[in-house]
Amino acid sequence: MRLVSLLLLITFSSLGYAAGGAECGDYGDCDEFDARLLDNSSLQRGLNTFINNCYGCHSLQYSRWGRVAKDLDIPESILFEKLVFDPNAKSGDLMKGSLDKKASEEWFGVAPPDLTLVARSRGSNWIYTYLRTYYEDGSKQYGVNNLVYPNTAMPNVLEYYQGKQILGCKQVPSYASNGGVRRDADRNIITEEECGHLLLAEGSGKYTAAEFDTIIFDLTNFLTYVAEPVRADRERIGWFVILFFVVFTALSYLLFREYQKDYH
Amino acid sequence: MSGMFLKVFDWVNHRLPIVNTFERHLSKHPVPKKVNFWYLFGALASVVLIIQIVSGIWLMMPYENTEEGAFASVEFIMRDVDYGWVIRYMHTTGASMFFAVVYLHMFRGLLYGSYQRPRELVWIFGMTIYLVMMAEGFLGYVLPYGQMSYWGAQVIISLFGAIPYIGESLEVWVRGDYYISGATISRFFALHVVALPLILIALVFMHLVALHEVGAGNPEGIDIEKHVDEDGVPLDSVPFFPYKVLNALVGIGVFMIVFSIIMFFFPEMGGYFLEKANFEEANPLSTPEHIAPVWYYSPYYAMLRAVPDKLGGLIVMAGAIAILFVVPWLDRSKVASIRYKGIFSKIALVLFATSFITLGYLGTVPVTESRKLMSVIGTVIYFGFFFLMPFYTSLEKTSVPPERL
Repeated sequence: MRLVSLLLLITFSSLGYAAGGAECGDYGDCDEFDARLLDNSSLQRGLNTFINNCYGCHSLQYSRWGRVAKDLDIPESILFEKLVFDPNAKSGDLMKGSLDKKASEEWFGVAPPDLTLVARSRGSNWIYTYLRTYYEDGSKQYGVNNLVYPNTAMPNVLEYYQGKQILGCKQVPSYASNGGVRRDADRNIITEEECGHLLLAEGSGKYTAAEFDTIIFDLTNFLTYVAEPVRADRERIGWFVILFFVVFTALSYLLFREYQKDYH
Repeated sequence: MSGMFLKVFDWVNHRLPIVNTFERHLSKHPVPKKVNFWYLFGALASVVLIIQIVSGIWLMMPYENTEEGAFASVEFIMRDVDYGWVIRYMHTTGASMFFAVVYLHMFRGLLYGSYQRPRELVWIFGMTIYLVMMAEGFLGYVLPYGQMSYWGAQVIISLFGAIPYIGESLEVWVRGDYYISGATISRFFALHVVALPLILIALVFMHLVALHEVGAGNPEGIDIEKHVDEDGVPLDSVPFFPYKVLNALVGIGVFMIVFSIIMFFFPEMGGYFLEKANFEEANPLSTPEHIAPVWYYSPYYAMLRAVPDKLGGLIVMAGAIAILFVVPWLDRSKVASIRYKGIFSKIALVLFATSFITLGYLGTVPVTESRKLMSVIGTVIYFGFFFLMPFYTSLEKTSVPPERL
């Protein structure tokens, strides 16, 4: 009986899964991002990148300076000297940014969104992929387009870090209909030209591709932190709560078994 | 001191039946001695109800019921209120777990014929609780005022508009405005935290009083009161305290482990408990690509979408819930438990459960042609289970349950 229902369920749901768009737009599935919320130096570098490149337009309006300093283990004096450009800002202030929403809407057509929760609404994988998939496109206002978010309104702010990327063609291994890689008589992989790949113009940016990936990793890590600053704490406390209930269950089971003898 | 206390207690007890009520509902009432894990979900539901009430009271303190402040106040709770995140995740996880245990509790009812004579009223009170819970969940979902709160509410409230003649005025009356606004939030807030919880508690009380009047059922679906000792206590029963309390405690322990794993490690549950789009503040000018209800409504949402006509969809959806109320009169079987029912009942129940789960999945994903067809099939099976029940339960060959547990 159970088998029948399981089979039915599987048939039904696999039918349902057949359609549906990719998570990261034209790019397909997003690149995997594994947050490292206990890595304070990564989070600090991410904060640094954010403040110097993003904070001019994007606020973090639910987050407070002092909380970030405390969580990321940055002395407040250093944070305020190096990263807080508003001389009147105080530790308990929200990171509201300085861009006027109305004016920015006129300038950009759309006001740059607040990014406090973007890692929860879009997902960290999405951010990590999006920031690495800009490419040159002369038809666009800022000369760039994005694979994850086609026609994005944001220019490629980090281009001077990354360099220029273009959408181009390259040789990739070709696959037989059975899924295996095709090879010639000398066991060399047979390649074919495939287009739509992101190709980086080496040396056109300040950093290498690997270094740039690290920068974006740290930035995404920071955005993941700021979307839910309690996450590391939550996972730490969770173990104790679960342990408590395991002990509770074990003890109540022993007591239950003892009493059950009365009527069995 | 204790002599003094006893005197006072005696004085009160003569005027207020404390001991009697306590024994009747919480300690001495007899319960079947042999039941299985399916009989735990009622106790678990009351645990979640308490979690929801307590966490709800604390959430209410820093929450701001205004259009401008609602979303930000939830983030304030998550960041600036000491352990505010514990309270909030308790409440959001609790909401989903409430439905999870109630669905299992209801399924238990179908499995072992718990609704059969003399427990029809227990079933009806239970179904009313379920109905109020759905309203309560919907109202609460609007309060954080994220994108999905707004657009979900937009879809659900616009359903009222499908009702002929009064539809449009009804919509405005529910919203308190021509569109979803601060007026909607503040009235939903009042209903969510005061009106519906009061009704819910009253209904739970009646559910239990009615249950203790007729006695709890068992997986054999037999009447344990046929065999009683000289005091009139069923031979196959044990007193609720301490035996069933201890039994429930083990279940509650296991349940709380699951609850904590979700709450502390997967509070979003992959977008099923907390939807991604709800981490974006409500924006009336931008419709999300894909509006999906939370998982516990999704079977009905799939039914709504299966019908091309809005009013028709509304009727189907309301009918799907309404028909549950009359189950005690649709089941014509001589036996209560699935163990002794015939093959038709067994097949029907499996098909029903499968269609409900499948509809639940379909309600959370965007519509395509094939999914729409599946929704229609699922809806037909869902209703077929109930409409055909009088026939298959009376025509099939049942077996004889034992006399005793």
